[in-house]
This record gives sequence, structure tokens and C-alpha cells, in this order.
Amino acid sequence: MRPVLLLAAAALAVGAFPAAAKDLTPAERTKAYAKLPYWGGFWITENDETSIGGLSQRAIDKDSSRAAMLLYGFNAPWNDEGRKRQAARAKAGDRKADGWGYPVMMNAAAPIQFMITPEEVIIINAYRDVRHIYTDGRKHPDADDLWPTVWGDSIGHWEGDTLVVDTIQVKNPNIYFHGAAPLSEQAHYVERIRMVSPTRIEDEFTIEDPVTLTGPWKAKITYSPAEGFDRMVSIDFDNDRTGFDDQGRNTIEPPKPAEK
Amino acid sequence: MFDQTKSLKLTGSVVQFQWTNPHCYIQLAVKDASGTTTEWSLEMGAPMYLYADGWRPGTLKTGSPITVTIYPLKDGKPGGVVLTATTADGKPLGKGAPLSKASS
Repeated sequence: MRPVLLLAAAALAVGAFPAAAKDLTPAERTKAYAKLPYWGGFWITENDETSIGGLSQRAIDKDSSRAAMLLYGFNAPWNDEGRKRQAARAKAGDRKADGWGYPVMMNAAAPIQFMITPEEVIIINAYRDVRHIYTDGRKHPDADDLWPTVWGDSIGHWEGDTLVVDTIQVKNPNIYFHGAAPLSEQAHYVERIRMVSPTRIEDEFTIEDPVTLTGPWKAKITYSPAEGFDRMVSIDFDNDRTGFDDQGRNTIEPPKPAEK
Repeated sequence: MFDQTKSLKLTGSVVQFQWTNPHCYIQLAVKDASGTTTEWSLEMGAPMYLYADGWRPGTLKTGSPITVTIYPLKDGKPGGVVLTATTADGKPLGKGAPLSKASS
């Protein structure tokens, strides 16, 4: 990049951030980091342990006492529209997924990683779902500057050691991932995330949606360290062989010819 | 999709091990009592689940004899979801496979 363009880009970048974040010197950032929690390593939702076959260990054990996949929404306070969407979802059966998206990425059997910085918290999972949670004091963009996405728009702040996250503009999660709750784009998600012990992080969700829910839907997701990972194992979706037989039942499609 | 009321045990030769998302697959050539060979499509979890269990893309080589237990497809096609997998002589794969690169 030429110097003039570089300066222009730098000016734009600085102008885009609130004053609280833009003026930190490297030394000040180091001090700011020291005040933040560190939730290092990989974390996985409790009770969603998965076998080598991809089946839920809880289901294999036929143990219904362990609450799992809370954000799938089977116990959410659905209103008529929500129940209608739930019924449509049940009829659709197992469809192909594009990935997991929000909020299911926070309640999945895939490991997640928390990257905490003075300006934002980034949450990444093995499917490369990425959340940017800005903690630099900014607000959500104006309505005219927003559009719904699979991950929504998130801002956050710290209350002691608790990260409070506010997320809006999430597309109906059930479109992206067939297991997700069929909430509307008007849903408002608030999370309170806190490390309660060195081996446990809790995320308390409160979801409100005037379109599909009768009132606040609360769910507490807990994470424990994901074992067996020395790196994030990320692979793109390029081999979805789940198809349908002539009776509309799911089956395994034949292997595709190898590409060169 | 899978009949979880019955499990089958299959022993055969690996045709291909697909280390892919959203699922890994083992293509397994299985010879029946009459000598006819059928290729089964056996679904496994995503690579990350296998990785955490000590599996790697090279854990299964083409031609390797293995034994699996599966829940078969409900539609009767030669396929299923893997419950357990070992070498044909019963040694573990992934974790607990001391001579495997996967366990290092």
C-alpha cells in the first residue's frame, strides 16, 4: 500500500473507534490486559460429549437426566408463531447444515476459544464461526446501518469478572442450522459469561423475541475444558453426504469421485 | 436415519477414509459368507471429535483390515454410523493405540 493510502486507512481506522480505545499506548494496553480475565484453552459444552460416530454420548447412554443442547429451544416459552415454527421444523426432518452459527455455536459439541482483549472479546469455534464482541464502549450501529447475519451484532462490557454481552440482528438460527431454535430477527440476546472456577465457565442466556416467545427465555450453558486438543481443528464443509432416499428418509449418499 | 435398536459387527478392508466435515466416513469393503464383496459407507463424527479421541487422517490406511460395530441405515442400504472401531485383531484405534502415530 502506498504511504498516502496507508495514512488514509489509518485515519479511518482511528476514527471508527471510540475515544476510550483509540488513545491507548502499548504500555497502557499492557496494563489494560492485566486487568482482564484470561479464559485460555479450549472449552466445550458440558453434557454434549460426542462419540467417534458423532452421536451424543448422552443419547448412547440413554441418560435423559443430563440437560443438553438447551439452546435448541425445546423448552422455550414459545407463543403461537413460535409453536408454528417449531412444528414446521419437526416436519422438515434432518436437513443439511451450513454450519452452526449463533447462538448454537455457544451450545455445541465443538470446542470454543475466548480471546479477551481491552477492546473486544472474540469467540471462535472449530467451524470458524466468529463472534466479535466490542467492549470499547461503542453502541450497536443505527438501525439503518444494521443488517441481520448468522452471528448478529454484539457489544459487551465487563461487570467485575463477568462479561455482559448484548446481541441483536441474528437471522433465524434455524435456517443456518436445522437443530437451532427458530427465533426471529427481532430476537434480543443477553449473555452473562463468567469463569466460576478454573475448569468451569458459565454463560447465562436471556433471550427475548416479540415474534416467537411469550416472555424471556433463560438458559444457563456451562463449559468445561475440551480434552484432546492441542490446536483448533478446523476443516471446511466439503463432504456433506447426508441425503434423502426415495421415501424422503435421510440416508448416506455414495462417495463423490475424488477431485484433483 | 440409523436404526438404533440393533447393532451390526462388520470386518473388512478400508477402501477410503474420508477426513472431512461435517462427517468423516470409512468406505469399507466387506465380504459376506457367499464371497460377495459389498462396499459400506460408514459415518463417523466430525474430524474434531475423532482428533480429540486420538484419531488422525492417517489412522486408517487403504487396505487396512478393521472391525467396526455400527447402527445400520434404516433404509437397508449398506451404511451406518460407527459405534466402535478396532483393528481386525481387536486392537484399539486412536487413543490407546501405542504404535499408532495417532496416539503421539
